[in-house]
Amino acid sequence: MAIFNLKKREIECKIVYYGPGRGGKTTNLEYLYKSYKKQIAGEMVSINTEGDRTLFFDFLPLGLGQIRGCNVRVQLYTVPGQVKYSSTRKLVLRGVDGVVFVADSLEVRREKNMLSLQDLQKNLKDYGKSIFKVPLVLQFNKRDLADEGIPLMPIDLMEKDLNRQLKAPTFQASAVKGNGVGPSLKECLKLTLKSLQKEFKWAQ
Amino acid sequence: MSLKDQIKAILQEAELYKKQGLLGEAKDKYKAASDIIYRNDQIKNRDSLIAAITSKINALDSDSDLLEHEPESPELSEKAQDLIKNLFSFSEKKDKDEAVLEGAIALAKFGQFDRAIKEFNDLLDKDSQRVVAAKNVLRCYVAMAAYDDAIAQYEKWKESGQFPPEQLEAVRSYLSEYLNKKGIKSQLSMPDTVPGAAETADLAGHSGGGDEETEFLDITSVGITLDTGPDKGKMVEFDVNFQSGNMLSLIISSKDKALIEGLQTGIKLSNIQYYSPIAIFKGSGIVAARTEISNGPKKGDFCLDIKIVNQ
Repeated sequence: MAIFNLKKREIECKIVYYGPGRGGKTTNLEYLYKSYKKQIAGEMVSINTEGDRTLFFDFLPLGLGQIRGCNVRVQLYTVPGQVKYSSTRKLVLRGVDGVVFVADSLEVRREKNMLSLQDLQKNLKDYGKSIFKVPLVLQFNKRDLADEGIPLMPIDLMEKDLNRQLKAPTFQASAVKGNGVGPSLKECLKLTLKSLQKEFKWAQ
Repeated sequence: MSLKDQIKAILQEAELYKKQGLLGEAKDKYKAASDIIYRNDQIKNRDSLIAAITSKINALDSDSDLLEHEPESPELSEKAQDLIKNLFSFSEKKDKDEAVLEGAIALAKFGQFDRAIKEFNDLLDKDSQRVVAAKNVLRCYVAMAAYDDAIAQYEKWKESGQFPPEQLEAVRSYLSEYLNKKGIKSQLSMPDTVPGAAETADLAGHSGGGDEETEFLDITSVGITLDTGPDKGKMVEFDVNFQSGNMLSLIISSKDKALIEGLQTGIKLSNIQYYSPIAIFKGSGIVAARTEISNGPKKGDFCLDIKIVNQ
């Protein structure tokens, strides 16, 4: 959960990238690390397997500077997407303030997206949080693969599968090319900081 | 689309899925391509094409097998362990020892048992953390299926005299029950002098398999209805300092000593309210240990261990 130091007017919050395995969560962070040097507040750390699958988490600290009189720092995490790392996902999700759900646009991954979203909902519930209230954006990743003739789900199908009840902001993306990565995070940060401002009433 | 183009498109799709690490999906596409080739006699070099695809499928099977059998919690570098320790201790408490404890627990949860044991051992000198640190050392050994090591560690502590009898009994009782649940028969020697040791030794674990740590809700506080004393019938609420599965540790201020006079080791409490972030539920519990903290910032306060017996 966010740490707010009233005396120093500093706030630190946690955003987690969630989603099915191989969907592009780590690629999102790698792109941010490469492209937003000014805001990066440290090294990106990836604890992964030899096959480059996320084993425990990726971590990237950002410093956003002064926002409404408060020095804002953000910790970005990804979770491992493989089904067998369910308990690690739950550990990493603890204390989350905002979520970017990275959905895989490949047609063959349709079911995995939905299972992963259900998994997120369950883990949030175990921490006393509702998926309907947590600051959340949906990213529909790998849209670039349409150019290679690979069957992708249409956007309206992904909206129907994943966003019919949530009604969260959505972004089309290609994390390998960087498209949509910054905007997804920006919107998630906006929602998260708005929620934290309400909670801590720190805006001057 | 010609047959040749159809097969080519499927194979390209398979290659892309393989590149993406989607091994199952890649295998399905290779199989689909192989089936089409198999069904069509007129395709040139049919047998060599099928052989080539079969070879790719076998390679995918081999990769999948490797993935399946990867260790779930390999030992990480010290730098990565330090990161876990710092990022995943959520304690906002100012007590440095409690923060160290939380960091060690985080390491254990990520399967970094050797490092976690080292961190827990460093806390054994601190009276307020000794019992909970010791329990977690044993928990780490049991998680590694090193049951003999867990038993040997307990016996070593008994011989060392590092633990006061009541604390040692709390640890003995915890290990005995934990091993019981794993189906391990153990004869742990009793501490030399323990008031109420017979009652503690008879503590029965409740049924329920699986990893008790993940089966239990995070309980943040408990409300105990006092059965004795001037506040008999009154419910008093205590914050949970630490939870390990169904064992809760509470720190009771020395100012509230009178409230807990009747809460001796072994006493069963039949009316406890358990508060968690998502639910409040009633149940009962047993006082597993009650120790006075003899040094450190909480000197004079009491550490009360309550074991939840039904939930």
